[in-house]
Amino acid sequence: MIRHLIVISAALATIAAAQWVNYPAPGIPRLPDGKPNLSAPAPRTADGKPDLSGVWKAVRGGRYGLNVAADLKPEEIQPWARALARRQMEEHGDGVNCLPTGPQVGGIVTEYKFVQTPNLMIVLHEAGTGDAFRQVFLDGRELPKDPSPSWYGYSVGRWDGDVLVVDTVGFNDKTVLDAFRHPHTEALHITERLWRRDFGHIELQQRYEDPEAYARPWTITLNLELDPDNEILEYFCNENERDRAHRVPHQHVVVPAAILAGYAGTYQMGTGREITITLEDDQLMVEQDARGKLPLFAHSQTTFVLELAALGPNSIEFEFVPDDRGVAAKLIRRTQGGGNVTGLRKER
Amino acid sequence: MTRHLSVLLTAFGATTAAQWLNYPAPGVPRLADGKPNLSAGAPRGPDGKPELDGIWFIDETPLGAYGERPVALRSEIRPEEVILTPEGEALQQQLKNYSPVCLPANISGLAAAQPFKIFSNRGTVVILYEVQTIYRQIFVDGRPLPKDPNPAWLGYSVGKWDGDTFVVETAGFNDRAPVPGGRPHSDALRIIERFRRPDFGHLQIEYTIDDPKVYVKPWMIKQSLHLTPDTELLEYICNENEKDLKHMVGGR
Repeated sequence: MIRHLIVISAALATIAAAQWVNYPAPGIPRLPDGKPNLSAPAPRTADGKPDLSGVWKAVRGGRYGLNVAADLKPEEIQPWARALARRQMEEHGDGVNCLPTGPQVGGIVTEYKFVQTPNLMIVLHEAGTGDAFRQVFLDGRELPKDPSPSWYGYSVGRWDGDVLVVDTVGFNDKTVLDAFRHPHTEALHITERLWRRDFGHIELQQRYEDPEAYARPWTITLNLELDPDNEILEYFCNENERDRAHRVPHQHVVVPAAILAGYAGTYQMGTGREITITLEDDQLMVEQDARGKLPLFAHSQTTFVLELAALGPNSIEFEFVPDDRGVAAKLIRRTQGGGNVTGLRKER
Repeated sequence: MTRHLSVLLTAFGATTAAQWLNYPAPGVPRLADGKPNLSAGAPRGPDGKPELDGIWFIDETPLGAYGERPVALRSEIRPEEVILTPEGEALQQQLKNYSPVCLPANISGLAAAQPFKIFSNRGTVVILYEVQTIYRQIFVDGRPLPKDPNPAWLGYSVGKWDGDTFVVETAGFNDRAPVPGGRPHSDALRIIERFRRPDFGHLQIEYTIDDPKVYVKPWMIKQSLHLTPDTELLEYICNENEKDLKHMVGGR
C-alpha cells in the first residue's frame, strides 16, 4: 500500500477553485457572444513584436507529453542515462517531491503565465515547487560563460522574425526531462522557439542538446493553448506535504529477460482495442494509445503495473498468462476501479 | 530546542555567486564614471506614473525615524501601537509552535528578507522574490478583490495609483504565516501597502496591518529600500538542502 502513496500525492495536491475565474481580462478580442476569439491575430507590443503575455497551458496527451525522447532510438541514449532513468522510475516513480521540475514542460508543469516586456519576459509557474518563476532576458546579454548550476538554468531570448528564440544553459543535473525520468547533465542546452500563431495558440519547438547523455540533438514540438479570463493559482508544495516520510522504493522484482520475451506481442482486447507489449533494455513497455510506449514494472513474474503520477492517481495492472512454452497467450488488464478486460495474443 | 531549527533554516540556504553580476542593465541613468546615478529622478511610464521596476534590497541602517527597528526585523514599527485583542493574545500563544519549514512568509515580511524584483507590464505588477524563488501578482486592471477568496499564503492583491503613490490592497490570507515580529493574524487580515519611489535609487514601503479580530486598531510597518542595479536575483530553492524536517516535532 505504501508504495502507492507516491502516486497518490500528485492527486492530493489539489488545487482549489480559482479566484477571479472568468474575470474578463482587458485586451482580449471577443466574439459577438462575448467569448474570447482565439483565432484572432496575435497581439503585438509597441515595438511590433508578438506579445506572448497570457496564461497558457500545455496541450496534454501528445506523443511527447510524457516522453520527450520518444523519437530517439534506445542506442541514442547513453547506457548510463538509460539505466539511471529506469532505476529512478523503479525507485521513485514520477511523483511529487517538492523540488523544482527544472526544464520539464509536458508532465507536471501544466499551466504558466508569460509576462513580456521589451527587455525581459518572465514565466510564472503554477505548479512545481511552489509559485516559482523563471526569467528570460531579452536585453541582448550573452549566456553566462561559466554559470553556477541552477534548477531552472539561465535563459536569454532574441527575436527571429515573429519567433522568440530562447536559449537556456546552466542547469544542474538534479532534474529530469519528463515523466520517463530521462536524465540530463550540466551540459544540457535547450533552445525553445515560441511562435504565437494566433491569439489563442503558441507552437513551442524545443531542441535538446546534451552530448554527455544523448548521441544527437533532437527537436520536439508542443502546443500551448491560451487559458483566457483565468488566472494561475497559488500552489505551495510544502503546504500539505506528507509523503516524504513514507517514501519507500518500489518493490523490485527482477524477472529474467527470457521470461519477459515471452510476454512481448500484440493482444486483441475484449473492448476492441489492441495493446502492444515490447521489450526494450530488459524492460517491458506497453503501448495502448497515442501516448506511445510506457514502462511497466514487475510486481511478480507475471504481474506488472503502469504507474505514473502524470497519468493520474490510479495504477493499471497487467497480468500475463503464459502457456507451457512460456509464451503469454492471454493478457488481463485491471484498473483500480475494478475493471477487468482480457485480451488474446494475435497470431503473428 | 527543535522548534528553533526552522529559524536557522534561512541561514543555511546559502546562495552561490550571482550570474551576470555587473551586467550594465539598460535604462539606468549613469554618472560620468559609468556608475548608476541613484539620485536621479524616478523613471516614469507613458502614463506619467513612476515606474517601480528594479531590484530592491532593504536598508540595513539600525534605527529609523518612525519607530523601533530591531536589526532582525529590518523594519520600523511602533510597538506601543500594536495592541492585541483577547483573541489575538490566544493566537500569539499558539504561534509559539509555528514551524515555517520552507513555507512562505506573510507579504509584509517578504521584502525584508532578501532582494526582490518589481516588474510591471500592462495591468499586472509582478514581484519576484529571491527568497524561495516565489512570486506575487498585483492586478492593476480595475478588478475588485474577490468576494469569497480561498485563503492563500500571499493573499489576493489589487493596486491603484494615488498621485505618485502605488497603493496595493491585499486580502484573502490564510491564518498561518505570521506578520513581522512573529505576530499573529486571522483570515480577516487586510494589508494596505503604499509604495513610493522618491528618486531613482530609493523605495519606501508602508504597510497598514488591519485585522480587527486580532488587533485593537490598525498598525504600521515602514521599510526603506535601495536599488541594487546591474545585478540579478539568485535562485533559492528552500527544499534543496532541507535536512531539518525529520528532526522537527510538533507545530505543523
